[in-house]
Amino acid sequence: MIILFTGGSACGKSSYAEGVCVKMPEPRYYIAAMKPYGAEGEARIKRHRAMRAGKGFETYECYTGLKDLKFPERGTALLECICNLTANEMFDDEGNFHDPYDDVMAGVENLINSCNDLVIITNDVGAEPVNYGEATDSYIRVMGKINAAIAQKADKVIEMVAGVPIVIKDM
Amino acid sequence: MILVTGSEASGKKTYVRSLGFTDEEMSYDPYSDAPVILNVERSVFEALRAAEEEGLTADERVARTEKAKINEAALLFEQLKDKKVVTINEVGSGVIPANRAERIGREASGRLSVLLAKEAEQVVRMVCGIPIILK
Repeated sequence: MIILFTGGSACGKSSYAEGVCVKMPEPRYYIAAMKPYGAEGEARIKRHRAMRAGKGFETYECYTGLKDLKFPERGTALLECICNLTANEMFDDEGNFHDPYDDVMAGVENLINSCNDLVIITNDVGAEPVNYGEATDSYIRVMGKINAAIAQKADKVIEMVAGVPIVIKDM
Repeated sequence: MILVTGSEASGKKTYVRSLGFTDEEMSYDPYSDAPVILNVERSVFEALRAAEEEGLTADERVARTEKAKINEAALLFEQLKDKKVVTINEVGSGVIPANRAERIGREASGRLSVLLAKEAEQVVRMVCGIPIILK
């Protein structure tokens, strides 16, 4: 089963998705794609770690190259999140960027092939005027393309609004 | 008229193609004869940016953008209401921008969406490439 969660920032995607994962069989893997940048990033990661504590997740910090990630056995994986993974694959530390579509999708494909159940969290970053300059505008567009491609592979797509799940695809 | 809304790159144009329209039948220009007009929020923003001309006082600029806001939405609505399909981006989420033309553009786009949705026989919202029928 592949489930995709979308929605805006802080709409309750993570905690709801974790709740879904704990109902799925162990082992459970948590794939953290967020690089800890500065105090704000650390605080965010700390909050997510505390939320996951005691839920039986083994954490894999994996910022790029998900296509090479290997698990000791098949289980349930939670990938958080496509917006960080895409940014990591797209930009280097000097601010140069390239099209990350193939790298992100190869990573997702690897997870699909190596897990029994996969829960993916993404973000709706396109609900604003696209006028941030070339780099960010390209990021917004490729995020849309990646989200649609994953949604097509997913058995379920759920949009979270204020912590309420709205099922928009259920095979 | 069918109104298709959604975020940037949410699959609106792909959906319009699935309705049987070819790319030749689509245009970004609301004043063209094409039966499908895409991303009409762009026309709203362009008109408002044009109204923010240099050399005007702040008050003059406010008056011009306000006038452009009202005129543009009304003109565009008249132009679009008899089209087969209209697509418009949802642009009202996120932080309200400090720049006046951008701010008013979001407002005018939202208002235009409401007008078009009221007129439309069907309203579809795209999320991750999936059409959700709102009306």
